[in-house]
Amino acid sequence: MEPTASAKAMDKDAAIRSTDSDAAQARLSAVNKGYFPDDIFIQHLVQRARFVPPRPPLINIGTFVRSTAIDALVNAWIHLSPQVQIVSLGAGSDTRYFRLANAGKLPSIAHYVELDFPENTSRKAAAIFRNDVLGRHVLDRTIHQGGMELRSKHYTLLPVDLRGPPSSTLGPLLASGTLQRSIPTLFISECVFVYMPSSASNAIVRWFAESFDIVGGLVYEMFGLTDSFGTVMRSNLMSRNVDLPGVDAYPTLSSQSTRFTHEQFSHATSLTLKTIRQKYISPSELDRIATLEMLDEIEELELVLEHYVISWGVKVAPDSQAECAAFLAWGLKFEESE
Amino acid sequence: MPSDLDKQIEQLKRCEPISETQVKELCIKAREILVEEGNVQYVDAPVTICGDIHGQFFDLLELFKVGRFCPDANYLFMGDFVDRGFYSVETFLLLLAFKVRYPDRITLIRGNHESRQITQVYGFYDECQRKYGSANVWRYCCEVFDYLALAAVVDGRVFCVHGGLSPNVETVDQIRAIDRKQEVPHDGAMCDLLWSDPDDIKGWGLSPRGAGFLFGSDIVKSFSHTNRIDLIARAHQLAMEGYKLMFDRMIVTVWSAPNYCYRCGNVASILELDENLQQEYKVFQHAPTDTRSIPAKRPPPQYFL
Repeated sequence: MEPTASAKAMDKDAAIRSTDSDAAQARLSAVNKGYFPDDIFIQHLVQRARFVPPRPPLINIGTFVRSTAIDALVNAWIHLSPQVQIVSLGAGSDTRYFRLANAGKLPSIAHYVELDFPENTSRKAAAIFRNDVLGRHVLDRTIHQGGMELRSKHYTLLPVDLRGPPSSTLGPLLASGTLQRSIPTLFISECVFVYMPSSASNAIVRWFAESFDIVGGLVYEMFGLTDSFGTVMRSNLMSRNVDLPGVDAYPTLSSQSTRFTHEQFSHATSLTLKTIRQKYISPSELDRIATLEMLDEIEELELVLEHYVISWGVKVAPDSQAECAAFLAWGLKFEESE
Repeated sequence: MPSDLDKQIEQLKRCEPISETQVKELCIKAREILVEEGNVQYVDAPVTICGDIHGQFFDLLELFKVGRFCPDANYLFMGDFVDRGFYSVETFLLLLAFKVRYPDRITLIRGNHESRQITQVYGFYDECQRKYGSANVWRYCCEVFDYLALAAVVDGRVFCVHGGLSPNVETVDQIRAIDRKQEVPHDGAMCDLLWSDPDDIKGWGLSPRGAGFLFGSDIVKSFSHTNRIDLIARAHQLAMEGYKLMFDRMIVTVWSAPNYCYRCGNVASILELDENLQQEYKVFQHAPTDTRSIPAKRPPPQYFL
């Protein structure tokens, strides 16, 4: 019997949600190999962490490049203002909030919001309750919606299907006073927009542009899947029931930047993970990870990395460009290591 | 009456592993043949030159469809038979069985993956454990790896090696002086031949792989001139179009693993040299994806999600 249309749709959502455990397991693998000495948290967010097999060096290195670049952008944003807000879309099992807390950055963060499917937020809320390593950074927590939602003074974990209209998915964050319009706000979308139609992701970018005086946006995802590598990737992902409805809208580096500039952002920059690895990771870090495990070939690594992009954009009010110069200069630092 | 070896070849062609005892015997016979070969094997044209296979057994069958089965064509495989693909055991044993059955119709030279250290990271060791329940088959195969030739020369004019050149090797004769019957060392001439890559630089450069060197067109020119070589054929680097000619056609990369790692989307090729050493590159696609080419219980190719 053919599954009904709604059963198929639910199945697809389960596949999207499962990409979070995939990413978390990849991070755990990289942590176990020593790529991220500061991440003492991921093991508490992966189910049956002890039994997760290690990932190949290529995946560990890609995870390192992605995460190091995004950490650098987030840290740079935090240093731009005495108080910032961070909204992590489709945050899943991400450990960034806990790592920032551990590094003593909370005084600069007015509020950190994580949004994801209810299945993912309830799992994370339960982990925070169960584990003191996580829980000690959210001491004033309260639980809502039967365990799907967790709130505290500086950290909120909300169950949301981000494909809905932003006025109802994100709007309540402003209405409730969780987020303030006047505080510079950074949104992070790590492999999230690609799983929704571009009409939905554009609406989210527009909502941020219209809702805050100063906004930064950070998008990481696969792109440019029109070549033979991309064709194989799509078919491999389809065999896991993972569809990428958003991937065709921004197929090039320059079009990735237009997702920001078409929605009132002042400017945007996009780089592939390949370029970031070559030129935006410090040589000392590259030397350090080269000692962790043997990578036997570069061509395959670069082929994979050039199909992932990190793009970031900034929006300030048109009449405040001068006083916002530091925000407009926000970006990755060029290292020229190779 | 087909011999036992012919039966084993037929069995391996169906991608069915032979028994551990049979592997042991095959490896002993293979070593007896390989020990007689020099570090640099001399090969007569016509010959079909192949690059990395990496355990992609069903793609190796595609290669033989395009280039004819052994012994109908004379073959030279430039290493990296194992690791990464799902069928390193069947791939290497089939090539080895051909070597024992038709020693003058197939030449196998060593790639950087024919090493104890690398196979423990990139899959061959685990595959042997999984398919035989012990590391014995892996050990027998590694002992054969140590006997594989390091390079080959076709009709005195085409130099074939897995990786590339070495600052410690100016003449082909210097390669003959290497004591090759050992695990691939971390540096030195033997390591470089298996690990180095040509690059758009002048002279020698550091390799991003952490072993071997990068070498420029001036190095290739001088080596070819000194040794009266028309072409250097090597493998070792993924070429999306199946092969890549560089430096005024003085050097070519031949890549024979289509859709490498079931992820890269590339085509593959073999290089046919006719009796006059004229080059013909035959490009081929990966085997149709079905339940056999990628076994059901194996993990799908990985991405960042």
